[in-house]
Amino acid sequence: MSEMSLEKAPAASVEAAHGHEHNPGARSENLKFATWLYLASEVVIFATMIGVFIVFRFHNPEIVQRVHKETNILLVTLNTFLLLTSSWAMVMGLREIQRDNRQGLIRWFGLMCILGTVFVGLQYVEYQELAHIGVALFNQGNEFDGFGMRFYAPTAFHGVHVIIGVLWGLFVMNNARKGNYSSSNYAGVEVFGLYWHFVDVVWIILFTMLYLV
Amino acid sequence: MSDINHTTEGHSKEAAHDHHDQFTFLGRTFPFPVYTGVFILLAILTIIEVSLSQVPRGDLGHAMDFIGIIMLVLAVIKASLVVWFYMHLNKDSRIFLASLIIPTLLVIVAVLFLSIVPAGGY
Repeated sequence: MSEMSLEKAPAASVEAAHGHEHNPGARSENLKFATWLYLASEVVIFATMIGVFIVFRFHNPEIVQRVHKETNILLVTLNTFLLLTSSWAMVMGLREIQRDNRQGLIRWFGLMCILGTVFVGLQYVEYQELAHIGVALFNQGNEFDGFGMRFYAPTAFHGVHVIIGVLWGLFVMNNARKGNYSSSNYAGVEVFGLYWHFVDVVWIILFTMLYLV
Repeated sequence: MSDINHTTEGHSKEAAHDHHDQFTFLGRTFPFPVYTGVFILLAILTIIEVSLSQVPRGDLGHAMDFIGIIMLVLAVIKASLVVWFYMHLNKDSRIFLASLIIPTLLVIVAVLFLSIVPAGGY
């Protein structure tokens, strides 16, 4: 489009030239791509924390084994199932809005938010148990020397992501209640879904690396 | 769907596929959505992982043992299932996958490099 024709074009045509006003599909894809790029930055942060733990694990296998013996693995496994179930609830909620069923979306997301909240509560219980056996943030010179900071940093950082996810989930539910989503407009639900599933993926890796291996 | 700028109509058609209340895998039809099938698979793999972790493994030394490697492989399979089906990478642009793979590979290389450095110095 030449300069001359742009000057004469009405405002609506200029908006159309930029693409977003009349192409919600492209807007949705751009939102998703932006979310994936944000998740890439999160990957770097979490992978670095996990990397730090792996290096510690290689150099201090006896300390990690000692903590594993003391850890309540049933509690952590239950927590893992809660997060896996919340991811399933999330994707079932998305499926409902794709069918234009807003009430279905709200119900599934309500379940997801409850499961996320219980996850954080149980993580608090687990922290209490670990603190009780002596795994503190800074253990210097005792039997858990150096473990605490390498364990609490990634798990607490993940816990913060779960809390943010629950709040975001409530926000999406409120939007759905207001009728802001439909079967042809659910980009906001999809973008939140990407975040929540990413939090689940991080926990899958953390669970194996920190508690099992 | 490999084109990042696919249309809403195209997306809706693929989304409609997820509306099915059943799916077929290895020639068998299951009476629930594929998302539920993935959830059941994730649960089974988690139970296997936790069961393996309870197997007595003796002195681990500095190296990862066979059971540890199996558990890691199971974790990667679980994470891939979530990314592929729940995050819809099976339908979305593969460019999205790069945003997960590239930073992960960079950190893996960094960790491998760090792990060859002795903890107490040379």
